Amino acid sequence: MARRRKSLKKLLLNWRVLLLILFLVGSLASIAAYGLTYGIDIGGGVALIAKPDHPVSGDTVNGIITSLQNRINTFGIKDISIEAQHESETGETLFVIKVANVTLEEAKQIKDIIESQGVLYLEFDGTVFATGSDVTVPSGQYGLDLQKGPTAWRVGFQLSDKAQNKFKKIAAHKVGWPVDIFLDPPVNSLMVVSHQVYQELQDVQAFNGQAGAQAPTLLERIEKGLNITVVPYTNQTPEEIVNNATALNKTAIILADVPKNLYSNVSSIVKNGNLKIAVSYYTPQNGESYPSFIRRILHLYGPYSLAFDPAEGNQAQLEITGGAATKEAALQEAKMMYAVLRSGSLAVKLHVISEQYISPTLGQNFKKQAGIAGLGALIAVLLIVYLHYRRWKIAIPVTSTSLFEVTIILGIAALIHWNLDLPSIAGIIAAIGTGVDQQIVITDELLGGISSATRRSTFRRIARAFFVIFASATTTIVAMSFLLIYFVGTLKGFAVTTILGVLIGILVTRPAYAEIAKYLLTEG
Amino acid sequence: MASKKKVREKEGLSSGERFLNEKRRRLSFLVKMEPKKMILYPLIVFLIAALVLAVHPPEKGIDLKGGVVITIYNLNANPGYVASYVHQKTGISVHAESFKYLSGTAGIRLYAPAGSNSDAIVSALKEKYPNAEITPMTVDPTFGRIAQKQGIKAIIYAFLGMAVVVFLFFRDLVPSGTIIFSAFSDMVIALATMGLLGINLTTATIAALLMLIGYTVDSNILLTTRLLKRKEDTVEDAYLSAVSTGFTMSTTTLGALFVLWLVSTSEVIDNITIVLIFGLLADFMNTWVLNAGVLRWYISSPLHFNIKLRRGK
Repeated sequence: MARRRKSLKKLLLNWRVLLLILFLVGSLASIAAYGLTYGIDIGGGVALIAKPDHPVSGDTVNGIITSLQNRINTFGIKDISIEAQHESETGETLFVIKVANVTLEEAKQIKDIIESQGVLYLEFDGTVFATGSDVTVPSGQYGLDLQKGPTAWRVGFQLSDKAQNKFKKIAAHKVGWPVDIFLDPPVNSLMVVSHQVYQELQDVQAFNGQAGAQAPTLLERIEKGLNITVVPYTNQTPEEIVNNATALNKTAIILADVPKNLYSNVSSIVKNGNLKIAVSYYTPQNGESYPSFIRRILHLYGPYSLAFDPAEGNQAQLEITGGAATKEAALQEAKMMYAVLRSGSLAVKLHVISEQYISPTLGQNFKKQAGIAGLGALIAVLLIVYLHYRRWKIAIPVTSTSLFEVTIILGIAALIHWNLDLPSIAGIIAAIGTGVDQQIVITDELLGGISSATRRSTFRRIARAFFVIFASATTTIVAMSFLLIYFVGTLKGFAVTTILGVLIGILVTRPAYAEIAKYLLTEG
Repeated sequence: MASKKKVREKEGLSSGERFLNEKRRRLSFLVKMEPKKMILYPLIVFLIAALVLAVHPPEKGIDLKGGVVITIYNLNANPGYVASYVHQKTGISVHAESFKYLSGTAGIRLYAPAGSNSDAIVSALKEKYPNAEITPMTVDPTFGRIAQKQGIKAIIYAFLGMAVVVFLFFRDLVPSGTIIFSAFSDMVIALATMGLLGINLTTATIAALLMLIGYTVDSNILLTTRLLKRKEDTVEDAYLSAVSTGFTMSTTTLGALFVLWLVSTSEVIDNITIVLIFGLLADFMNTWVLNAGVLRWYISSPLHFNIKLRRGK
C-alpha cells in the first residue's frame, strides 16, 4: 500500500501530468476571465458577406471598414466585427460583417446601410455646401498637429471649385462658427424627441463652438439644411405623429428618448397604411451623454469651428482640426474623421452576397443543445470503452482525458477570443474523436505488453503508439493548414479548432494519458 | 474482485492479455480470409460507389449554389399550406419541407430560388405567424461559386497534403499508395451515400469529408505500422492485434457520432455526423480488409524486398 501511494505521488509529480494539470487550471481560469464568445450561427445575430462592385486596394479597404464600422455603430453599442478577406480564386476582396444580438429589423437596416453608399454632407449655417463627390481626401492626409498642441489632430482635404465658392459666400467673416459634417444623416425626416433632447439641440454651448448664440442652433441648422423637423414629445398619439409626417411629406420618422411602445404603435400604423416611411427608434445607452446621443442619431461629426476666414486668401487645401484628451485618442479621432471624409468619396458600392440571420433566443437554444449533445457523446464514449475493456479504470481515464481536451481547447479559444461557430464545434468533435482513437491505441499497446513486463518492452510499445500518433497528427495538421490558408470565412473555424485540438493532443493530453494508463494498468 | 483476479493470475495471463485474446478470438475470421479476396471485395464496393456517384451525385446545397432558405422554428403547420400562402402573398414560388427533432423542436424550411426577395417572404410569414422564430439565409450565386471552388480546393489540397506526409512517413510505395487509395475510397463511398440519402454537399459536409481524411489516416497508419514494424511472431498476430484495436476505435467513434446525431437539433451537425458515420463504416472495410489484404500480400511477396532493397541504396 505504501509503495502504491509512493508511485501515485510519483505519477502526480511527473512533468507530463503536471503539464496537463497546469493547462487545465489555466484553461478554466481563461474561460472564467474572458468567457466564451460564440459565432453568429450559435449565439444569434446577423452575418453578411459583401463584395465591392469593383476591385479595391489596401487603403480603400481600410476606409471601407472604418466607415462601415462608424455607420453601423450608430445603432448603438453592439458587437460588430468587420473583416476584409482576400479571395485567392478571383483576387477579390470580400467583407465579412458580423453583428451579434440584433433583431430581424435591425439586421435588415444593417444590410441597407452596407448596400447604400455613405453620403457625406458638409453643412454651414443651415446650408449644405458640399456632399461626398465634392470632397477629395488625398491618401494618408491625417495625423497629429503638433504645432497646435501635443494632443491636437488634423485631417486635410480638398473641395471642388463649386463647393469652395459656395463656402466662401456663406462663411465669409464667420470665424469660429460651427461646421457640421454628417455621414448618412436622416434627411427629410420628422424627429419626435424627449423634452431634454429638444432642449439640448438648442444648446449653444454643446453645438455652436466659439460662435455661441451668434450662430443658429443645431436645431435650426438641421431644419434648414437637411429638412429635419424636430418636435418635442408632448403625449401626441401615434396617429398624430404619422399624420404630421405625411402632411410634411417626410420619408422617415425618428423617435428618440421617448417611450418604446410609441415605436411599435407608430410602426404598425405605418405598416397597415402601407406608407413609405421608415421608422426608427433610439434610446440613450448607459452613460451616454445627451450631446453624444444626439450626434449618434443625426450621424453628426463635429461640429468643428471654422478656424479661418474663407473670404481671405485662396486655400485649395482645407483641413479639419480637433483635440482629444490623449495622443492615442487624438490619432484615433483623426483616423475616424479621415475615414468619414473618405467614405463620402470612396465611390465603391457594396453588394451583400450572403446573408444569414439567427435570432438571439434561437441562439440560446443552440448553445444548450450543443452542450447536451456533447455530454451525450461523452457518455457514449464512456460506456462503449467500458463495454470493450470491462474496466472503469480504462473507461474513466479515457473519457476524462477527452473532457480535459475539450476544456483546454475552449480555454485557448477564450484566450484568443476565438468565435465558436458551428464549424469550430465540428472541429472540436473531430479532435476529440481522433483523441479517443489514439488513447485506445496507447491502451492496447500497454495491455498487450504487460505480462512479460520488462520496462523496456513497455517503453517500446509506448514509442510505437506514439509513432502512429505523431504520423496521423502531422497528416491532419498539414491537411488542415491548407484549409486555413486558402479558405474565406466559413470553414476557418473548423481548421483552427482541429489543429488546436491535435496540437494539444500530442503535446499535452496524450503524453499525460500514457503516464496515467501506465500507472493504472501496470500496477493494478 | 480479489478472487476473480486470483483466477486470472492462475491462468498465467494478465487480465489485459486475457481480454485482448478474447477480442482477437472473436475477430479471427478476418485472418482466415485470403488476401486476394480481402482486396477484391472492397474494390467491388468502391466500383459500385463510384458508379452510384457518377449516376447520382449529391446535390449542391444553398451555400454552394446560391438561393434562399428560410427556416421557421416552433411552427406546426402543413408545409404545402405555408408554401401556397407565401406564393399567394408574395408571388414567389417556394418549396416547403417540415422537420422534426427527437427533442421536440419542429418547424418548416422554405426554399426559394436565388434572387428571391427574402424580406418579402419573412414579412409575409411574420404577419401570419408572429410567434415563430424565423431565420433567413440568402446566398448569391456568385458567392456560392466562390465557396464551391474553395471547397473543392480544400479537399484536393488536404488530400494531397495527406498523401505527401504519409509517403514521407513510410517511404514505401505500396503501403503508402494503399493508404491514399483507402482514403480516396472512403470519400467516394461517403459521397455516394450522400447522393443516395439526399444529403446536400455544403460547406459543413465538406468539413465532414475533411474530417474523414483524419480518421482514415489514423487507422491506416496504425495498421501499417503494426504490420511493417511488427515485433509479434507472425503477420497474422500483428494483424489481429491491430484489427482488435481498430475495432475498439471505430465502434467508440461510431457510438459517439450516433449519439450526437440522435441528440443534436442542428441540421449542420446532423449532416456532418451522418457523412462521418458512413465514411467510418467504409473506412473500417477499407483499412482492415483492403489495406490489410494488400499488406499481407505485399509482405509475403518478393516485390516487398525488391522495393526495400532499392530504398536502402
